[in-house]
Amino acid sequence: MRVLVVEDEKKTASFVRKALESEGFAVDVCPRGDEALAAAITTPFDGIVLDIMLPGRDGLSVLRQLRAQGNRTPVLLLSARGEVNERVEGLNAGADDYLPKPFVIAELVARVRALGRRGSESKATVLRVADLTLDTISHRAQRGGKVFELTAREFRLLEFLMRSAGRISGRMSIIEKVWDYDFDPGTNLVDVYVKRLREKIDDGFEPKLLQTVRGVGYVMKDAP
Amino acid sequence: MTIRTRLTFWFAAVLTASLLVMSVGTFIEISEQLRHFHRHSPDEGAVEETSEMIFEAGLPAVLLGLLGGWWLVRRALAPVTDLTKAIEKIHDRNLSERLPHSGNGDELDRLTDVFNAMTARLDGSFQHIREFTLHASHELKTPLTILRGELETALHDEQSSATQKERLASQIDEIERLAKIVDGLTLLTKADAGQITLKCESVRLDELVRESFADAKILAQPQRIEVRLDRCDETTVTGDRHRLRQLLLNLADNAVKYNRPGGTVNFSLLRDGTTAALQISNSGAGLAPEVQARVFERFFRGDASHNNAVEGCGLGLSIAQWIVLAHAGKIFFTSEPDELTTVSVQLPLK
Repeated sequence: MRVLVVEDEKKTASFVRKALESEGFAVDVCPRGDEALAAAITTPFDGIVLDIMLPGRDGLSVLRQLRAQGNRTPVLLLSARGEVNERVEGLNAGADDYLPKPFVIAELVARVRALGRRGSESKATVLRVADLTLDTISHRAQRGGKVFELTAREFRLLEFLMRSAGRISGRMSIIEKVWDYDFDPGTNLVDVYVKRLREKIDDGFEPKLLQTVRGVGYVMKDAP
Repeated sequence: MTIRTRLTFWFAAVLTASLLVMSVGTFIEISEQLRHFHRHSPDEGAVEETSEMIFEAGLPAVLLGLLGGWWLVRRALAPVTDLTKAIEKIHDRNLSERLPHSGNGDELDRLTDVFNAMTARLDGSFQHIREFTLHASHELKTPLTILRGELETALHDEQSSATQKERLASQIDEIERLAKIVDGLTLLTKADAGQITLKCESVRLDELVRESFADAKILAQPQRIEVRLDRCDETTVTGDRHRLRQLLLNLADNAVKYNRPGGTVNFSLLRDGTTAALQISNSGAGLAPEVQARVFERFFRGDASHNNAVEGCGLGLSIAQWIVLAHAGKIFFTSEPDELTTVSVQLPLK
């Protein structure tokens, strides 16, 4: 998968490039908006990571121009401003995803990967990680013959984590997808919910499936 | 005493004095003429008649003058009264508005000009401060992004030891906190500058209250705090759904944070005539009366010794207050030390 990273801040561009490359992406870096637009038109990228504040031409304008020309390359917007209105503005301009700065690298990588999968998400109704299953129709989770009662929120959290099994989910993604919050609530809500969920699905079972990645977020996976 | 009354009195005095001088002059002149005319038999009756005449015509003239004077002064000062009313309405949010001119090109127009120039200068200074804060927040994001990114890279480095990883993770936590402060500052600065528009729609407030009640129950579990929903009337308000959820979660989180282990949190939502009245009370140390109004100040921390263990960016209640005010509502605290502390929010119904 070939990705264009448009970021004028050298150090940020550098660690984003390293992180994406270590996950097997081919990465091109471009520090200017106008050059990025030209590159995106001539080269077929699988995804673009686009900063908003850029020299030459700002990210939103690059994005609008791309979409106006019928270019559908998936775009993940990065922004230092991190304001609700801006997120909406970005998505309206044709962005596929939005990540405010400062971001978690693992989360950026997960979202870039998701860009490639857009539209082809699993439609399975029964999700499975190791011996844990979740029926998305009856909202029932089961592990080792034991059935768990889940609240609506716990169900959505578990469904989200199981659908992205094997990939790290940052707090920001969880808050967006499970709580539908546009803002960082500034509470440890996610951590408390995960702890409760873990008590249900992991206590008394091996291996532990719901794992914490310190400083990053959570991941649901089979192996430690 | 107002200028109007004072001027009216002065005017009355001058009018009376001039009438008096005029009357005395007329009286002397008339008496002279009469004496000259009748020579040796001055007609006392004619003199009396004259003074009576002056008195009868003079008094109404004085009264009329008085009324006229009062009306004139009132008319002259009306623009000052209007100006005062207009100036009274000026505050830090509408400094860009200008006072209207009367268009007469008089002294008051000049005063209006000078005043408008002053508010324009103030407006400029305020904008400078806001822009400065916005730019500062933005500039802070770049080094924060780099710091966070590099610490995270180091955290996943196979060569880092467990102790190093622990330290790195703790530094990342602090960076997250710093980022939250910067986000909060950006939000409030934009709100101050009127740059945030609410996306208003019909919102079922009771549903949002039930939702934050459920979240509060989860948040309260580790401290074994009991959370109750005393009453939840079906209530629809016009507002920004996301902002209202942010407000409720903010207040619920506060009620749990500033509680004591094994304490209580009570939610209630009442529909009362034209307002939706929400109350969230919690047990705990409470707020001293002198602190109750100050809790909405940015970065205000009540009794620091009580709150050392409480995390947060110090802007939560300022943001909550902004959300309520933006919805034309009211928010206030009532508290009895070591008893219940209650935050009340009143929002106008749809």
